[in-house]
Amino acid sequence: MFRIFELFLRLSGFFVFLLLEVICFILIIRYNQQQRVIYENSVNLFSGYLQRKKQSATSYLHLAEVNDSLLRENALLVQQLANASINAAQEPGTVLSTSQASSFSVIPARVISNSVNRFNNYIVLDKGGNHGVIPHSGVITGNGVVGIVRRVAPNTSVAMSVLHRQTRISAQIRNKGYFGWLSWTGKNTRSFSLNDIPKDALVALGDTVETSGYSAIFPKGIMLGTIEKIKLEPGSNYYSLDVKYNVDLSRLATAYIVRDLLQEEKLKLLDQVTSEDE
Amino acid sequence: MNNIVITNIFRFSGLILLQGLVFKNIAEGWEEFPYLFVIVYPLAIMLLPLPTPRVLTIFLGFVAGLLVDGFYSSPGMHASAAVFMAFCRPFVLKILEPRNGYNVNYSPTAARLGIGWFLRYSAALLTLYLFFYFSVDAFTFVFLGSILLKTLVSLITSMIFIIIYQVIFNPID
Repeated sequence: MFRIFELFLRLSGFFVFLLLEVICFILIIRYNQQQRVIYENSVNLFSGYLQRKKQSATSYLHLAEVNDSLLRENALLVQQLANASINAAQEPGTVLSTSQASSFSVIPARVISNSVNRFNNYIVLDKGGNHGVIPHSGVITGNGVVGIVRRVAPNTSVAMSVLHRQTRISAQIRNKGYFGWLSWTGKNTRSFSLNDIPKDALVALGDTVETSGYSAIFPKGIMLGTIEKIKLEPGSNYYSLDVKYNVDLSRLATAYIVRDLLQEEKLKLLDQVTSEDE
Repeated sequence: MNNIVITNIFRFSGLILLQGLVFKNIAEGWEEFPYLFVIVYPLAIMLLPLPTPRVLTIFLGFVAGLLVDGFYSSPGMHASAAVFMAFCRPFVLKILEPRNGYNVNYSPTAARLGIGWFLRYSAALLTLYLFFYFSVDAFTFVFLGSILLKTLVSLITSMIFIIIYQVIFNPID
């Protein structure tokens, strides 16, 4: 204690010096025009610099929030895009225009878990029944189709990935209209095959394969991949096309769950017609 | 002892009045050459007796500076420089310490320590004072060249007046 006191006594000149200098500078800044202007400008520059630094530091902290809001915004855009083709197809005065405005709802979701290395892969999403997800909804990203929802819990849902032996997606060749079924070959995450395209169809390497919208799970026109190899089995009437898938399923962070609000209606009607004929 | 205190009080008030009423007007007569300032009143701090407590030296510097600021209508500027100079005085004394040391009861005057020693001592402290004062005056080091030129020119002229003061009064304490 005495040592501290001694030290303080030894430095007392320095403290008095500091104190008086501070008083002097306060006087200078307050009562001298030129010095005040310089001081104020400097302070403004410095605080502006600090503000910018703080901004750039805290913007990182808000990155998650920004991501979430962008995800929501994207979902809205995807929804508009999915419904745009339907709305454009409605002629004024037809039955459709009065009965339906939009057909697809889109829910943004985060991928909780994902697998790509098994024969039957599943994706777990952080949205469930509470958020309006129902089984047989589609799961897509900005690049293409990811899977189909199988089971729904209140706050989670499990989708079977397109990397699943039973997944078959109704697909068509863009601008040509031929449709068939896209399924995973199981070789690697990007290799798919498109079957049931008739052999008189004009297909070329590099043609884009997209969803047909027939299955009432996915909106029409979502890109799936490009044709990589054209094969025709001897004696077969259908092509077997190798497709390079557009989505890299080994890197999946966010997805959109799309639901066709008219799915039930469409399927019920189809069921009635097919059962009538049997 | 009392004698020294009274001498210093007289010197203190006399130099400040001289600075404010005479030397200020000399410098202000040179408007086309704004580098010239005659600053003599720091002598009052320089010539304080050696046993003066450090805190008191600094405080007296502050008071002297504020009074001169009153004449110059620049509150705080001379005071900050005088406080700085008073703070530096012990360090300068230590650097310029003669081989056989100081007699602790004396004042650092030319009569006690020789005119050569006194000129070095007063020039060193006055340089510190002027450099600090002109830096505060510019309030930025952007004009460092101008600050140094002002310091040099004012140092030479002020030293002339300090020598004249020495010749006239030749204070012992």
